[in-house]
Amino acid sequence: MPEPSRPVVLLFPGQGAQHPGMAVELYGAEPEFTATMDEFFALMGEEGGRLRADWLGDHPRVPLDDASRAQPLLFAIGYALGRTLTARGLRPAALLGHSVGELAAACLAGVFTLADAARLMAARSQAMATVGPGGMIAAGVAADDLEPRIGARHRAAGVAVAAINAPRHTVVAGPEPWLTELTRELAADGVTTRRVPSRQPFHCPAVRGAAELFAVGFAGVPLAPPRVPIRSTATGLPVSGAQALSPGFWAGQLARPVLFWAALDGLLTDGDHTLVEAGPGRSLSMLARRHAAVRSGRGTVVAPLPASAEGTLAAWKAAMEELDAQVGEGALGEGALGEGALGEGALGEGVRRGSVEGV
Amino acid sequence: MREITIDTLVRLLRESAGEDESVQLDGDILDTTFEALGYDSLALFNTVSAIEREYSLEISEEEVGGAKTPADLLNTVNRALAGTS
Repeated sequence: MPEPSRPVVLLFPGQGAQHPGMAVELYGAEPEFTATMDEFFALMGEEGGRLRADWLGDHPRVPLDDASRAQPLLFAIGYALGRTLTARGLRPAALLGHSVGELAAACLAGVFTLADAARLMAARSQAMATVGPGGMIAAGVAADDLEPRIGARHRAAGVAVAAINAPRHTVVAGPEPWLTELTRELAADGVTTRRVPSRQPFHCPAVRGAAELFAVGFAGVPLAPPRVPIRSTATGLPVSGAQALSPGFWAGQLARPVLFWAALDGLLTDGDHTLVEAGPGRSLSMLARRHAAVRSGRGTVVAPLPASAEGTLAAWKAAMEELDAQVGEGALGEGALGEGALGEGALGEGVRRGSVEGV
Repeated sequence: MREITIDTLVRLLRESAGEDESVQLDGDILDTTFEALGYDSLALFNTVSAIEREYSLEISEEEVGGAKTPADLLNTVNRALAGTS
């Protein structure tokens, strides 16, 4: 007897998931992915051309780890992979994005059009350009354990817990030189840390001003309730209609901690899912594999893109076959998850409308 | 000769990732890759740090990087322990 199919959730990674050559092999090989990336670059105007060149080139003019490169590229790749999966007939039951990945989820769910997303990504880059040098580190301790280790001096400088990714995977963000100083203190205390590839801090008080600037970028951007549920990393619950219509909700995310584990746990507690990482690398699916539901086999994980430049197309194709086998007929095709709930319009209409307005 | 057992390794893996008993980590995990178990570099190095503290030894980053499964790590640690005893 075939296994009953599980609803599919798309996971969209954020800052830190970027790497040279990310998803580049798909560009030109996967028609929907290629067309969506090109559409986004066109909507970004001249900056879109520079983004594309830095994405595809061996020697990017601006390093990929810079917010102005990593953020719009991760948004675009996540969104384009989402479009590619839905074009194959996949009907996700929910979307969950980490940091800028949450904006890719919002765009796919029709909260704003791709044309407006391009404006928002430009506004986000401009806002982040006002932030001084800094970064993020991942520490192998629980958030409760880490909080008291962030001293008053570091807090005053804007250092704070920026993400709770797993029970003992807590990200701290802040400006330099305080972040490096804290990293040394943590090492002396026996706390294992890893640098998150980023030239700026995110999700901490040091970027509150940037979040306010980003909010201004939402002026004149129509917002709509999500047509596919988005599991919020602000609350761990589905994004409500009222939240989706609030620019402050989306802009404030830039300075608020990302409660990834709470969102993931909420989803997996509600039911068994197949989680598909729609972005470069396997950072989010690795975290998900440590969840009780996935470890026991009640939930499963598909991670289509290894964090390498070469071999991603072959891995993607293999993952698509695996996905077809896992979800079976259930999540593919029309009306699989309820009449009209997740039809073509839910993930396609807003996008096309956006492209017509924007080009 | 000091030796680390699979039970000890599982306990340290659990503690280092913050997994309680509800998270399954037994059975045939010895030859399951850390990637399949969801142990990223942070979780793995966290586990190794705990082992180094508990057994007062040092394992190089290269050796840790070469351990793809709990069985590999067990061998690596036990080789290091044999060298220190």
